[in-house]
Formats: sequence, C-alpha cells, structure tokens
Amino acid sequence: MRLKTTALLGAAIVALSAGMAFAGEVTWWTPNFNEARAKTLVEKFQAAHPDITVKLEVTTTDGLPQRVLTALQSGAAPDIVDVQHGWVNGYAQNKLVLPLDDVLKDREDYIPAALQYVTWDNKLWGIPYRIETHAVIFNKGDFTAAGLDPNKPPQTWDELVAAAEKLSVNGKSGFAITGGGEVGNTIFRSLPFMWMVGGGIISDDGKKVLVNTPESVKAVTFYTDFFKKKLSPASTLENDGTANRRLFIAEKVSMYQSGQFDVPSIRKENDKIDVGVMPIPHPEGGKTAAILGGWSLVVPSSAKNPDDAKTLIGFLAESENQAVLTDTFPARISAMKAERFNDPILQVFKEMLPYGRPVPAHPNWVQISQAYFDGIQRILLGDEDVQKAMDGAAAEIEPLL
Amino acid sequence: MSAKQQTLKRPGLSRPLIVIGSLLVVFVCLFPFWWMALSSVKTLRELYTIPPIWWPEAPTWDNYRKVLFESNIPRYFLNSLVISIGATALALVLAVFASYGFARFNFKGKPLLQSFVLVGQLLPTAAIIVPLFITLRVLGLVNTYWGLILVYMIITLPLSVWMLTSYFKAIPVELEEAAIIDGASRLGCLLRITLPLSLPAIVSVLVYAFVTTWNEFIFALCFATDSSVKTLPIGLAEFSTEFNTDWGAVMAASVVMTLPIALLFLSMQRLFIGGLTAGATKG
Amino acid sequence: MQRQSTGYLFVLPALLLLAMLIAYPVAYTALLSVTDNQGEYVGLENFRRILTARATPIAFWNTLWWVFGSIVFQVVLGVLTAILLNQNFRGRALVRSVTLVPWVVPGIVAATTWAWMLHTEFGIINYMLTAPGVIDEPVGWLTNGSTVMPVMIAINVWKMFPFVAIMVLAGLQSIPNDLYEAARIDGASFWEEVWYVMLPQVRMVIVAVTLLLVIWALNHITIIYAITKGGPANRTLITPIQIFRTAFESVQFNQAAALSVMFFGVAIIVVFVYIKTLASSSGE
Repeated sequence: MRLKTTALLGAAIVALSAGMAFAGEVTWWTPNFNEARAKTLVEKFQAAHPDITVKLEVTTTDGLPQRVLTALQSGAAPDIVDVQHGWVNGYAQNKLVLPLDDVLKDREDYIPAALQYVTWDNKLWGIPYRIETHAVIFNKGDFTAAGLDPNKPPQTWDELVAAAEKLSVNGKSGFAITGGGEVGNTIFRSLPFMWMVGGGIISDDGKKVLVNTPESVKAVTFYTDFFKKKLSPASTLENDGTANRRLFIAEKVSMYQSGQFDVPSIRKENDKIDVGVMPIPHPEGGKTAAILGGWSLVVPSSAKNPDDAKTLIGFLAESENQAVLTDTFPARISAMKAERFNDPILQVFKEMLPYGRPVPAHPNWVQISQAYFDGIQRILLGDEDVQKAMDGAAAEIEPLL
Repeated sequence: MSAKQQTLKRPGLSRPLIVIGSLLVVFVCLFPFWWMALSSVKTLRELYTIPPIWWPEAPTWDNYRKVLFESNIPRYFLNSLVISIGATALALVLAVFASYGFARFNFKGKPLLQSFVLVGQLLPTAAIIVPLFITLRVLGLVNTYWGLILVYMIITLPLSVWMLTSYFKAIPVELEEAAIIDGASRLGCLLRITLPLSLPAIVSVLVYAFVTTWNEFIFALCFATDSSVKTLPIGLAEFSTEFNTDWGAVMAASVVMTLPIALLFLSMQRLFIGGLTAGATKG
Repeated sequence: MQRQSTGYLFVLPALLLLAMLIAYPVAYTALLSVTDNQGEYVGLENFRRILTARATPIAFWNTLWWVFGSIVFQVVLGVLTAILLNQNFRGRALVRSVTLVPWVVPGIVAATTWAWMLHTEFGIINYMLTAPGVIDEPVGWLTNGSTVMPVMIAINVWKMFPFVAIMVLAGLQSIPNDLYEAARIDGASFWEEVWYVMLPQVRMVIVAVTLLLVIWALNHITIIYAITKGGPANRTLITPIQIFRTAFESVQFNQAAALSVMFFGVAIIVVFVYIKTLASSSGE
C-alpha cells in the first residue's frame, strides 16, 4: 500500500494529458518582499542562459508554509521555492525536496551554521542564501532620560535587568519580550538565553530533553521575569515581534530584541527616535548567543525541470548574486563585502552573526517548540511556576524524541 | 400603498424599543467597520498611537491611491467578480433543482442523500486541501476560474440546498396541485409557481453564496497561484511582507472589498419587501 | 406522492458534482490516517499518537464550548434582530443593510481589526473603557485565560448573527398575512404573536440555520487562527485548529489525517442525530 504511487499516478496522468513539462522552463516561487531583487537577477540569468526561461511567481508571506506544503505534498510543485531554513528539515524527512550537494560550491565560504540548518541525513537539502540574527534595539533618548549612558549599553543579564528597571517609568516598558503570535517569535527570543548558560530545549543530537534542567529553568526565569516584574508590557502574551516594534515606535518600549529589518521601518515611522543597537546581553562570565535565521532555496522532488532549476540555483548562489538577493545578510562570507552591508547600524548585527546557531534539527521540532511555548505561556498566565511549566513541557517533549 | 398599510397594520414593537434596538444593532455592527474605514485614511504614524486617536488630523487618500493604482487589486477585483458570480449562479441552479427534488418528492435514500449534501462541509479544511488540489490537477483546473468555481460548490451548495428545501416545503402544495390538474409539468410548476414565490429565499441564497465566495481565503490561496486568477482576499495578504503589514493599505483594500457588497445588498432590499407569498395565497 | 425517478433527476446534478469533488479527498484522508509518511501501513499508530497528545482533550472541550457558546448567542441575537428588522419603521432598509456588514467583512480582516481593537495597549476598546473610568486598568482581553475564549465567541457571534437575522427575516417575510390577521382577531399581543405565529412559521428555517451554524463553528477557524492561533497556552485551541497545525505547521499529515477522521466521524454522528430528531419531531 504505497501512497506515493497514488500521487505519482495522478501526476503522470496530468503530465500526459496536459503536457506540463516544458524543457527549459523553470518556475521559481519567491516571496513578495524579494520580487524586485529576484527580477533583476532573473534578467541577468537569462542573458547568460538564453535557453532557459525563468517564470517568477510571487508568493505572499501570509499562509506561505501552507501553500508550499500543499504544492509539495500534492506533487504539483514549482521547480524552485524560497523557504525559511527551519522548514527545510521537515521537507527533507518527508522526501519532498531533492538533495542539492552537487550544486553547492565553495562550502567553506558559507557560515557553517547556515549549512548545518539545511543538512539532514548527511545530505544538503537546500542552498542557504540569506542569514540574520537578532540583537537588542534600544531607544537612545530613553537611556539619556533615565540617566543611562546610551554609548555603554548593558552587557550582562544583571545590567540588562537594572537598565530595564530604570527605563520602566511613566508607562514605558524597559525590555519587551514576546509571548504571543507564531511560536517562532518566542523561540528566537528566549532560546538564546538558555544556550548562554548551557541549557536548551533539547540537546543538539536530539536525544535528551534539556528544557527542565536547572540551567534552562534559570534562563526561562530570567526571560519570563521581565513580564512578572512588569518590565515588559501588559500585552506581552499577545505580542509578537511586530507588535513589539509597534510599541517601540509608539515610544512605549525602550528595548526589545529584533533583527536589522526593523530599523528602516522605525526610522520611517518615527524619526524622533534615536535608534541604538547592542549585542544580546550575556550572563556574567558567559558568551552571548543568538538563533540564526534566514532563507534557503529548495528544489521540490516533483519539480518538472530539476536540472535547469539547479543551474539557476547555482547562479543565485554565486557570491555577488547572493549579495543582491538577500533582504538581510548573505549566507556567504565573501558576499558580505558588498557595499550595502557597510551601514554602521548593521555593525552590531554583523558582530552577532558568529554567535548564531541553528535550532536543533529534529523531525518533531515544531511540536517540541510548541510544547515549550505552551509552557512559557502558562508561566506568563500565572498558571504554573517556571519549574512546573518546564517539567510539563519536558513530559510532552520526551515521547517526541 | 394605502391598501397595503391597512392589511399590514398589526401589533408591533413600541417605538422607543425599535429606536433603541436599531441604534444598538447599527452601533454593534458598524463600529469595527467604521474603525476600519477610519484607519484607512490615517497615516502609518497615526495608526499606532497610544492612546488611539479618533479622528486623523490630516485624512489621507494615499492608501486608496496605492490600492487602486499601484497594486494588483483592480485585477483581483475583476477575478473575484467573475468567480463569485460564476459560483453563485452555478450553486443557485443546482440548488434549486436539488431542493425541489428534496421538498416535493419522496424517494428511497432521501434522508441519506440529504445528509450527504452536508458531508463536504464537515470535512476539515486542512484535510481536504491537498487531495482537492490533486483532483483539480487531474481535471487540469488549477489556476483557472473554473477550478475555484467548482471548489466553492463544496462550501455554498449545502446551505443553498438546505435553505431552499425548507423554504419550498413551506409553500402550500395546493398551488402546484392546481397547476398539475391544469396540465403543467413538474418543471413548469417549479419555474412558474414555486420559484416566483420563493424570491426572498433565492435572494438570500444569492447574497449568501456571493458573500461566502467573495471572502474565501484558504482555497483561493492554494488553488490560484497566478495573478490572472487570484482573488481579493489574496490581494489583502499581499500587503503583508515578512516583517511588516501595510495596515493602512489593507484597511483601504478592505473597504474597497466590502462596500460593493453592502451596496449590492442595499439595492436588493426591494426584493425582500412586500410579502410576496402572502399576496399570492390571497389572490 | 410522485414517481421516484423524477425526484432523483432533480437532485442528481448537485449530488454528482459534490461526489466528484469529495470522493477523492475522503479516500485520501482515510488512507493517510493508517500509513506513515513513507506510505507504509501502520494500523492505528497515528490515532494512538494523536490521542495521547496533551492538546487533544483540551481541544475537544474547547471545541464544545466554542460551538455551544457561539450557536446559542448567534441564534438568539439573530432571531431578535430579525423580529426587529421585520417591523415597519423609517430607515428600516438602511438598518437591514448595516446589519449585514459584519458578515460581509472578510473574516481575516474582521479578525485582525478586532485583534487590534482589543489590544491591551493600542486597543480602542480598553481606551473607551478606561477613559470614562468604567474600568481602572486596561484588560488583557486576549491574554487573560478567562476572557480569551468568551471574546473569541463574541467575535464569532458578531460575525455570524447577521446571517441568522437575514435568513429568519426572509422566513418572516413569507408568513401569510392571514395568520397575523387570525391572531389579531383573537386579540393576541405582539409577543404572543411572536411566540404563536412567527416562531412556529420560521421554525424550519431556524432548525436548518442552526445545523449550518454548528457545521461552520466546527470548521471555520479563521477568527481564532488569525487572532490567537489557539493560544495562550491552548486556551482557545479547538480541534480544527489542532488539525491545521498538525498538518501545516508540524508537517504530520498522517496524524492530522487520523484526527480528521475522528473529527469527521463525530461530526457525522452529531449531524445524523440532529437530522433524525428533526425528522421525527417535524412529523412530516
């Protein structure tokens, strides 16, 4: 009883009846924020490869995972899709995408964490082209008003808490954490704190639950206490990264974690704010950490034209083209030299990159992170204390490993 | 008019109750929409202030300009129109016949078939998206108007059939029996007697099917990937990028999307008014 | 009554089309529920795994609350509004149109607008309540474990009661005048008229609409999904959202299919019981 047979049969019927396969045509799904940059690169590519026609289809960010999965699962996929690093593993495990080891060149030029993300079963399932990490964005004006030196932002956890306490006056919140929205928002902001003290949600090899170890509990307590001590807004449980930025723009929040993509919109919407950026504070004597995020290109197993798709991906993976396509930073070290990455405000974000780590690659990662996130929400709701909530999460995660 | 008023005069709600009730209904229904419309003429800065501001200092039409002239919304509007009208018409025709069959005939397995009509609505959307997509591929209907029109039958037919069935049942059979004695066929009865008497129900079904298909998001998202068939709700989603939503534009587009239907309904008011059935049974 | 075959002819086109669209999804889901992601037969393993998930019983009870709470208020408010809109008064046409607005606003837009209006900090609702001193502190409507589900139900009621109102109104419009006149001759008051004339006459409409509301409440996830995604801490997680998350976020199509099969089974039973009770009580 093989399901794939049914799907293949369906695909075969279509291919026969509709004559879908056009040699030399590559369909590329890219998100709407990439559209303009992708178009330039396609033009450049077609000039060099006149025999291959690239059909660019623009996807929307809302509902993108559903739409990509529907296409992959039904066997009617495009030839290339832009997806987030974190999704690639799930596709690989379900054999929905093709391995791309033969496409990758200059392996050592890539940030290792980016490749680690899209590797499963010792094969490479996507070509990363964009990476980013968080840092802490802060309002320099608020710092001065609270008697803090904006040029010497907090470096350790204790300093961060002390600064947040000083900043939480006149209805403002010193340091906004997230507790709502997509699960990923809170994973990105809290997991690095766990890493800094040697904790985590699960171990890197995916064999052990770490979420309720003393180290992890310490980090989770540190994170959730910002809300418990009213240093994070009352709306924390409904806030995701975007909501925090809104509150920052409305000058209700003085510090919050985010990526460089927030800076242009802050400047555009409230030019009164003097934006500062600092590395994510670390525990006394420890090192900072961050989650590496970003996007990769994958070739679906049901792609009609995988060969030409690989040619295009190879082209897009060239250093200078990566520097164009990425919305944040390129995954290749050499591409980082491009002029557009020299903006001083990007400096701290760039410094954070070497501390970026991928989230653990585990087949059930989404459920694992959901169990952890539910635990965080129970703490924020006041249902359970940190230890109990994390024990509960551990009990849920255990059978998933 | 005067004759009508005489026959319609009957005990009713007291005036204050009507006024209070109406005001309450209008407020509850309109407040979020009004807030939405207000947001559509605010600048980005004014959208996110604490405390919120009631009236923008300088209302801007920028969002509307963006929606109407710089986006794909006009094209999507056309697509939505074609798909919604097509799906509504198809649902109505199929539903009228099916309902008439259920309301006026007894046949083996009728309760079973009647419940079958509802089956499609009971299937969780998440479970049927992928196989429906495969079905559409086999039929070669992905990225076509027909694909979405057919899929929307799953959503619109059940209600249409159920509403019309109960409505047809409420129409006295005697009217048709008289016509059959006069030599009319079943089809003739349906078209000449039952349908005209069911105008309010038909209008309800039309409005329902149109609104439902006009607003549907997830099927349209998965089955229409080309801008030549994308519908308005997808257009709304396109104002959101990875880390940002052009909220003003979304609100303006929502107004553009909602107003035509509200106006459509306003123009259909006439069809509800008049107690058509009452007139017929009396005459 | 009539020849059977004619009846079939009338209903067949609609049924065939539906069957064509539904048959494959049903078979596909059933197949997925007993296989793993490689297509190998695994028996009831998927069912066992999804049933032991911590969220499953929570989602089940939330679903009951969600469906029950939504329907009661939708029907009661819808019928009351219909009776109001059936009165003769100036501006009636306008009020009727306005009533329809919540229903015609796209679900995703309604959800995001409400989420924004209810936001603890930015929300106009907290502002309206705190400014005149109705409440002292802003309420975390969507973040408080005890308010979030009622708020979701309220938004759902807001969205769908106009539909009930319009359907019942259409029914009320078609009540023959003789019935009112007969009641008037007997000296019935307005509320007696509502109880003895209007409600019995629109009973079938209400029954049918209620069934559809149940089905929609079971399957329409836009409002909850767009606002809370089932959170905080699964307070608003209902089974269809769990299915959606299992399939499209966790990429566990097989477990999602198993849950779908069970959900579908329960829904079918509910609907059949409803129709059976209906058929026996209507005496037709």
